[in-house]
Amino acid sequence: MIYLDYSATTPVNDQVLESYIKASQNFIGNPNSLHRLGIEANQLINDATEQVANLLHIRPSEIIYTSGSSESNNTAIKGIALKYQNRGKHIITTELEHSSVIAPLQYLMDLGFEVDFVKLDSNGKIDLEHLKSLLREDTILVTIASVSSELGILQPIEEIGKLLKEYPKCFFHVDLTQSIGKVNLSLENIDLASFSAHKFYGMKGIGVLIKKEGISVEPLIHGGKSTTVWRSGTPALPLIVSLAKALRLILQDSKEKEHKVKELNEYLRNELEKITGIHINSSEEAIPHVLNFSVPGIKPETLQHALEEKNIFISTQTACSKGGSPSTAVFSVTHNEEYAKSSLRVSISHLSTKEELTIFLDVLKKAIERLQLKHE
Amino acid sequence: MRVISISAIWCSSCLLMKKNYQKVKKEFQNLEWIDYDLDFDIEASHYQVGEKLPVLIFEKDQVEQSRLVGEKKVEEIIKWLEENIAS
Repeated sequence: MIYLDYSATTPVNDQVLESYIKASQNFIGNPNSLHRLGIEANQLINDATEQVANLLHIRPSEIIYTSGSSESNNTAIKGIALKYQNRGKHIITTELEHSSVIAPLQYLMDLGFEVDFVKLDSNGKIDLEHLKSLLREDTILVTIASVSSELGILQPIEEIGKLLKEYPKCFFHVDLTQSIGKVNLSLENIDLASFSAHKFYGMKGIGVLIKKEGISVEPLIHGGKSTTVWRSGTPALPLIVSLAKALRLILQDSKEKEHKVKELNEYLRNELEKITGIHINSSEEAIPHVLNFSVPGIKPETLQHALEEKNIFISTQTACSKGGSPSTAVFSVTHNEEYAKSSLRVSISHLSTKEELTIFLDVLKKAIERLQLKHE
Repeated sequence: MRVISISAIWCSSCLLMKKNYQKVKKEFQNLEWIDYDLDFDIEASHYQVGEKLPVLIFEKDQVEQSRLVGEKKVEEIIKWLEENIAS
């Protein structure tokens, strides 16, 4: 099998899985229980949380465990909007966001909030001047993904954060889902941030919302003691421990990992450019882990299935959009409907190999030739 | 005469258009406007929505006259509505 869909999810690391199993077997107490087993379980969570905080250079009290990025995004966006609606009801975002950002914003619009989209340049990067012009007295939230999942566009998060410091009434939420372990980013000027462990070889079902001290959010789930008051429910101890392990492991040797992915991306990009009929949508500035391209005239699902027959797995668009629909992200950058309708995403990792990419390219080339002949 | 609006909560184009629809609705207050969510409202499945969202469908006597698909400017939607009302 050749797996080239690492942005959708990643295979769990053996050591992470081992931590999960050990924590499940050896710490059976509810961390909220007051007996010895509960206290031991609670101590393990505190240790894991401290480790996560140290790795991210934040405080342990700023970590809220969730079921994943979708819940983190929902908690951040709805939580801030509902808590601070007396300050204003204006929110700013981009067209590149994940559905777990778009959907809560639609929900909030029905409650009377106003949402504006900031313009993107030809590389898909945020137009900072336009962002400045959109900011108002009643803007309470700017929510932007640091890396877009479909195209791998890296946004100037630190610059946006600095700009937003001039607007103390406005909070800055960053969706870090596609950047944790791939991009070195300072969280200094960010108020809230979301991520999921399964994007960096952790378990599915655990994520984090970082919420800086002094900021309040209206919780989505009320009742029941947990690690924080912001998200109730019995703390998922084995998942929390496994998240800490996954984070530590992904941040180890990060320079080497990045270098390897860069080399693989370069090879992939160069070889894709040689195949007739392919248009590459991801700019050179995109993170090397993601390469989005289009094959106009051929349905992306058809190509995806042709590759799948040879046990090669890539993605048509993000897993959370309607199958067959044109990609909003690709259209917003290319302004070309054909490219938006025929886009495919290859996402690679430090686990990928040049041999895998060579096989993929060979199968892809043959499939395109066969399908183009069919259409002639 | 009525307008059926079909969108999806995960769709960024739908979010973008929501603001435009709100402006248009203010100008056509006598026009019946029904909002359906593609995933949540079973009625939406009667309209055979294609690949692209959002979709506006203009109906007279519950018969479809025309549809407007995708992201459109406020002026385009107003023009489309005026043409349909006049026809």
